Amino acid sequence: MNSRNSDRRDCIYSCTKKMLKVPEHQVAGHIASDGKLGPLVDDQGRFFKPLQGDSRGEHEAKFYESFTSNKKVPDHIHRYFPVYHGTQLVEASDGSGKLPHLVLDDVVSGYANPSVMDVKIGSRTWYPDVSEEYFKKCIKKDRQTTTVSLGFRVSGFKIFDHQESSFWRAEKKLVLGYNADGARLALRKFVSSNSPADSNLTPNCAFASEVYGGCNGILAQLLELKDWFETQTLYHFNSCSILMIYENESILMKGGDDAPAPRAQVKLVDFAHVLDGNGVIDHNFLGGLCSFIKFIKDILQSVEKHDETDTSLLENGR
Amino acid sequence: MQLKAPEHQVAGHIAKDGKPGPLVDDKGRFFKPLQGDSRGEIEVKFYESFSSNTEVPEHIRRYFPVYHGTQAVEGSDEAAMIVLENLLADYSKPSVMDVKMGTRTWYPEASEEYIQKCLRKDTGTTTVSAGFRISGFEVYDHKESSFWKPERKLLRRLDVDGARLTLRKFVSSNSFSDIGSKPDSAFASSVYSGSHGILTQLLELKTWFESQTLYHFNSCSILMVYENESILKGNDGDDARPKVKLVDFAHVLDGNGVIDHNFLGGLCSFINFIRDILQSPDESAES
Repeated sequence: MNSRNSDRRDCIYSCTKKMLKVPEHQVAGHIASDGKLGPLVDDQGRFFKPLQGDSRGEHEAKFYESFTSNKKVPDHIHRYFPVYHGTQLVEASDGSGKLPHLVLDDVVSGYANPSVMDVKIGSRTWYPDVSEEYFKKCIKKDRQTTTVSLGFRVSGFKIFDHQESSFWRAEKKLVLGYNADGARLALRKFVSSNSPADSNLTPNCAFASEVYGGCNGILAQLLELKDWFETQTLYHFNSCSILMIYENESILMKGGDDAPAPRAQVKLVDFAHVLDGNGVIDHNFLGGLCSFIKFIKDILQSVEKHDETDTSLLENGR
Repeated sequence: MQLKAPEHQVAGHIAKDGKPGPLVDDKGRFFKPLQGDSRGEIEVKFYESFSSNTEVPEHIRRYFPVYHGTQAVEGSDEAAMIVLENLLADYSKPSVMDVKMGTRTWYPEASEEYIQKCLRKDTGTTTVSAGFRISGFEVYDHKESSFWKPERKLLRRLDVDGARLTLRKFVSSNSFSDIGSKPDSAFASSVYSGSHGILTQLLELKTWFESQTLYHFNSCSILMVYENESILKGNDGDDARPKVKLVDFAHVLDGNGVIDHNFLGGLCSFINFIRDILQSPDESAES
């Protein structure tokens, strides 16, 4: 390697070192703050997730390694998973020194002000052969949240509030206390433009059709995933989440031809508990995914109905 | 009216220790005693709701037993039996299998005791691992010219591979009692595939479950039935008349705007097992 390349390599390394910071748009999972161990991002669009103690970190790395090279995964399904770049020793966020980290593409890089929601999919987060302690912990949470009743639970979300020109983050305790109506409301809030801070306001679902609907919207992507889950027996995605991301700003820049699309994206994340499918489909994830899809569909339908009513009212009023 | 015990009960309650079991008459009706506690009531409520529910599409009704109301015990007003269509009335030599559908048989509204009991059973069977478990079956053994039924205890111990094997055996001609022989899946295509086969019916049910929010079919079973008589007569199984029916509604609850994701997940898994058998009828082709 000539000296120019090695200079560049050193620069990237030191740049990466300098530019590592706490991600702005984490909505669930461990957060690197106040000396706690959590993920970091650089300015090259990479996400560094510390390999957790116990075997979870290694397990997640093993999954990414298997998945990345698995020829049985159809090409069009890869887009739903973060791109993996191996592991790297990185200065940990809690100051404990250099720790191995998973290196992934940051799924929110390229978005200016992304609204993000993390939804844990499946009617149970435990799985066969776990410890009694872990099982009890999981089933308790599953029963206290909408996991058992709906087949999914909202783990966290944040929206870009246009009135305030800042992010509004849902309170974690409130989110975990949601019942079916709470979850429904959160999914509506997620695509609304009226103030999320005002709990008395009915969410207007202003962005529902652009974010949830359309041929590239969230629903279309979820349906593609569903198709794959109906036959794939490669992995069981225990305790995994679906992340929904979209660019809020662009939708409001209406009138501009160069206004970027909302680029609504669905990503599967958190693979610390993935197991081999062993010839059986991931019926736990699939059931929850179908339930989640129904919730999204219902919102789209109610928005369509509302639009129709408005139109007919306008026409009748003339 | 002549009432007698049904010949081919594969799962659920049977007449035992002075407690009544189900009965059939010669007019194609099945009499199911109302179970104690509230289960009998819940099942009646379900059948009553379902039979008059205009939101249930017509093509889905065929998957449910026809309901003929309740019947009181002689000399009392109390409903003692649910009167249903005898699902096996038109079959002369039926092979029958009962598959309890769902990743879990418990539900949040149940008592803690019931939940724990169900959890134990679910984790010990293929309910947790595969999303369904085989509760019982009876097959016509073509070699022995008689019916064969396994011990229920054995069924509970089935693992995923055992369930797969059993689903193959269900459509095989070689002797059931011969444990060593590999099932030949001779009737797999007549029973499982085709435009009127089990798979087609299951797929129709699946589509409905993806959007129906009317009922949650906790702990319900899918019954699979087919006729052996035509196979014996050498009609190449044309008239196997495979049928899928949902049964056992003692724990059905309102859907409350949510789909029955528990049943649906299990149903999709079951569908995949059937598909696998159709795709590789020769067991050794499976990896």
